[in-house]
This record gives sequence, C-alpha cells and structure tokens, in this order.
Amino acid sequence: MQIELISFGKISDFISNQILEIEGIETTDDLKKHLEKNFPGLADIKYKLALNKNLVQQNSEIKNRDSIAIMPPFSGG
Amino acid sequence: MSEKKIKNIFVTGSIAPEFIAKSISNHSPKTSIGGHSIFLGQVRKDEVDGKLVSAVEYTAFEELALTKMHEIREAIFSKYPLSCLHVHHSLGDIKAGEICLFVFTSSKHRKPAIEACNELVERIKAELPIWGKEIFTDETHQWKENS
Repeated sequence: MQIELISFGKISDFISNQILEIEGIETTDDLKKHLEKNFPGLADIKYKLALNKNLVQQNSEIKNRDSIAIMPPFSGG
Repeated sequence: MSEKKIKNIFVTGSIAPEFIAKSISNHSPKTSIGGHSIFLGQVRKDEVDGKLVSAVEYTAFEELALTKMHEIREAIFSKYPLSCLHVHHSLGDIKAGEICLFVFTSSKHRKPAIEACNELVERIKAELPIWGKEIFTDETHQWKENS
C-alpha cells in the first residue's frame, strides 16, 4: 500500500515529503520500526507521528493512502 | 468541542508593533475589561559556537496546530473568567529583534488575565506543532529547541 509521508523540523533535513510504498505494515508501531530502519537518523531523535492530521497517542491502524506526519519536539514561540 | 469556528493564529512574517497597538485600542469599547495581559516573544540574537543568529524561520503543521490551539483556547476560556483572548504566531523568516509571538488576554480583573496569559504561552510552546530554525549570519542553520 501507499502512504504519504510528511516531515517537519530537523527531520525534514533528512526525510523529504514523499509517497512511501510499504508492505506488511499495519500499524503506526510497525511503521516506526520501518522508518527507523530506513532512515537511521530517526532512531536517535524523539519524535511523534500524526495520522491523517491527528496526533498518534496509541498504536493505530494504517490504511492505504493515509497521511503520516513525522514531528520532532516542538519549538514554537 | 464547541461549534465555534477555528481561528487562524498564523501570520506570515513578523508581528508589527503597530498591529499590537491597534489590537489594544480595539478593546477600548469593551468597558467591562479592567486588565489586559500581553506576552510578546522576540527573536533573540543568540551566539552559538561563535556564530550569531540572524533570524529564525518558523514552519508549522498548520492544520494540526490550529485544531490544538482551538482545544487550548476552549480550555483556557472554561478555566478563567476572560473577556477575550488573542494569539498570533509568525511563520517564515523573523529577524533578530522582531516579534514572533503575541498573546493577549483581557478580563474584568488582572489576575485571570495574567494567569491565563502565562498558561497560554506555556501551552503554545509545549503543544503546538511549530518549529523554529535558527539561521546564522553565515547562512548555516540549527533547529531551535525549547528550554
């Protein structure tokens, strides 16, 4: 299936916005493992995901054409 | 969540002192107000490893930020007896010395205005998906981290 990946802050320095083709990944926890393996820089960073513009607070199911945002700690203000 | 419309807090570029002055004067007709509290965030010319910050470039996950800000706004209104509450946050390049955050609360008495303003600033910095990139005078950058 395909998901849309959007990145922010320092993560956008090494993961560009892209359509990602993934197989065998059903949840946000699976996706985290996949991302950390494919983008090694991510493993050392604290980050949160948003699924279809909602902050992921617990493991959630991912479906084809979902949008996933990867967000490092916030630094507004 | 209430049916109230989600307000946009984002402005492109810095927040002009004239805009702040106008916001204050807009409250003159609201004569039940007895106290305003204002917080202004200003971009600091930090020195990091001998390099000076010339600007901070702000980006946000706008839709998520506005939904979250709406929740915060509702929570603050139910916690404090406020007459009104305004939040403006900059996006894009803001030069050192310019204003990037404007939080404005008004109440019948000073204490709710001051406390609500403080809580808003803390929650905005901790909970809104906004990121600041510090641009140095030599055009290198580092991502800001809130303390």
